[in-house]
Amino acid sequence: MPKVLTIEDDAVTAREIIAELGSHGIEVEWVDNGRDGIIKAVGAPYDAITLDRILPGLDGLAIVTTMRQVGVETPVLMISALSDVDERVRGLRAGGDDYMTKPFAPDEMAARIEVLMRRRRTAGPVTELRVDDLELNLITRTARRGGLELELLPTEFRLLEFMMRNSGQVLTRMMIFETIWGLHFDPGTNLIDVHIGRLRKKIDRPGLPPLIRTVRGSGYMLADAR
Amino acid sequence: MHAESSSLLPEREQRATEQRADEPGWPSDRRGMTPVASTVSAAGLSRSWRSSTTRLLIIYGALFVVWSSVLIGVLHWETSKYLGAISDQILEQRARYLSTLDRQQLPAAMDASNAADLRGMMVYGVFTAEGQYVSGNLAYPPAELPADGRVHLLHSGIQRRGYDGGDEFHARALALQLPTGELMVLARSTNITERISQIIRQGLLWALSLTLIPGLIGGYLLSRGPLRRVRQFEAAVQPIMRGSLDRRLPVSDRRDELDLLASIVNNMLAELERLMGEVKGVCDSIAHDLRTPLTRLRAQLHRLQQQTAPEDGRAALIECCIDEVTALLARFAALLRISEMEDLRRRSGFGMVDMSAMMRDIHDLYAPLAEDKNVRFAIDIDPPPPLPGDRELLFEAISNLISNAIKFTPSGGNIRLQLRPCEGGAKLCVVDSGPGIPLDEREAVLQRFYRSDTALQLPGSGLGLSIVSAIVRLHGFRLEIGEGDDGGARVTLLCVPRDLSQPVAN
Repeated sequence: MPKVLTIEDDAVTAREIIAELGSHGIEVEWVDNGRDGIIKAVGAPYDAITLDRILPGLDGLAIVTTMRQVGVETPVLMISALSDVDERVRGLRAGGDDYMTKPFAPDEMAARIEVLMRRRRTAGPVTELRVDDLELNLITRTARRGGLELELLPTEFRLLEFMMRNSGQVLTRMMIFETIWGLHFDPGTNLIDVHIGRLRKKIDRPGLPPLIRTVRGSGYMLADAR
Repeated sequence: MHAESSSLLPEREQRATEQRADEPGWPSDRRGMTPVASTVSAAGLSRSWRSSTTRLLIIYGALFVVWSSVLIGVLHWETSKYLGAISDQILEQRARYLSTLDRQQLPAAMDASNAADLRGMMVYGVFTAEGQYVSGNLAYPPAELPADGRVHLLHSGIQRRGYDGGDEFHARALALQLPTGELMVLARSTNITERISQIIRQGLLWALSLTLIPGLIGGYLLSRGPLRRVRQFEAAVQPIMRGSLDRRLPVSDRRDELDLLASIVNNMLAELERLMGEVKGVCDSIAHDLRTPLTRLRAQLHRLQQQTAPEDGRAALIECCIDEVTALLARFAALLRISEMEDLRRRSGFGMVDMSAMMRDIHDLYAPLAEDKNVRFAIDIDPPPPLPGDRELLFEAISNLISNAIKFTPSGGNIRLQLRPCEGGAKLCVVDSGPGIPLDEREAVLQRFYRSDTALQLPGSGLGLSIVSAIVRLHGFRLEIGEGDDGGARVTLLCVPRDLSQPVAN
């Protein structure tokens, strides 16, 4: 069972994280201050950490900086009440892997944690991705479904790569937009849907079992058709 | 305005000169004035003549010239009258004396008088009835002088006898018939009167030039101080207009009227800042405070959705609720984002932005959306040099413009995104073939929550263009809304960075 450390001084938020991650089958250990947080983060192995930016005792930025300095590479999702756009940059520069502002949608938070944990498990060079009968060659940059080559535009290729690397996980529109386009504003739901729609048309051709699924209210998931 | 003010002084100067020339016995002489006029009408100073100090000084100077002229005129007139009267008395007295003498004694008495008259003020002459010279030192009798024994001012000059072609001079003269039928003429030169007039006139010229030239120079120097301060105000107001309401006008410790004005404006600014802060604060705290419960509501709905089987009829309803709450949250997020950008603090994201590459990315991002709507979306790029800016924010702003264009362009229409280099930056145009934005709504669409009648049927928050506007202001760029060739909207983003070396933020 994967294990996540939550360093969060607000009890309501912490309970929310515990409940949401619990429903995804993730065990959560909660500490409510920075000092205990840094000791646990450095001392025990976790699959991921959610870290509040502002904490009593020790600041969230200081925690992640210290962790990286002593060589602890546990993925960190920074959660902050500071909505200032500059804060994101600061958090990521200090060594955070992802950044969310409060208040957040729990499903989005869970999706991000899962992607972080997944990224860690599959770290290392990969030359080929495979989901069901869909293959993606990262060297020749070609995609095939059931042996038939798919013609993808560069953006579509990147989108498919991101979805295949995180197959079986819910990917929210915001996550897709941030990863593929590197932008953090709200593009409106429609825009990402259109891009997914185009990719879907190329991959899930009529008659084939669909690989890309819409997760109601959240986003998309690419997974085995079975 | 410039041309007008530079001609101001010469014009006044001329008027003053004309007034002087109009006075009786006043020669039209502008010599004293020319240096003044040429000193002050020099190009480049013209702006300073607009200051109130200078204007007052010029008006005062003109009045001074007029009153001095009147004063000197009266003085001159009174003096000449007095001197004339004395001269007449002397002439009459002498004539009476000479006329009582015997004819034979006359030349001797005249010579005796002449000898006593060292300055040669008087001339005497006896002529035959035909005007032939008989005796005395007058060359010939004045033509227009009637022999009535009364003193007249001669209009033409007379000439002294004995000087070879000597100078003619003006004189007051008296002629009378002697019992012998001969004509006796007595004349007295008006030299003294003329000389005194000249002295008075010169005095006036000196006085005017000595008063006016330093007065005008002083006025110019005096007006420079206040003008310089007005320029300082102007410079101080620039950042305030760009949104730094915490700036104030400079107040010196002289406590003069400009300082009074500055502190009035400063008080006004303080009040304005307080009110703006209050409005923004209320807005922000509403948005901020409602976000948490809305997020919880959304989370609960989401949980409920997961517990509801997709076949259940209520699942669709729950999804609807989630969509509504999500839209609401997006609206609040946008509102807070505008407010954050209006704080003008975000500068860390600034770097050099390659606009052409960004245009292509935007095209790449939005082309599928346009295609889905059957709208042609073309880009037309003439690469400008990189610009200082925040790539992500500019991307967001232009995305908003494109997204709007796609939203309002009907199926079968087209959208053109054009990028051109221009003086000091780049010019970006988004032209669509939609219904366009009516003239009276072009200002309003940039305001928060404004939605035109045509937009009411379409989804949206009315915040898109406000975000664009905030981003544009942050960069110091300019946004213009106009009309495209085929009646659609043309939104022009003029990306000319202002000087970024000085941070706008506090």
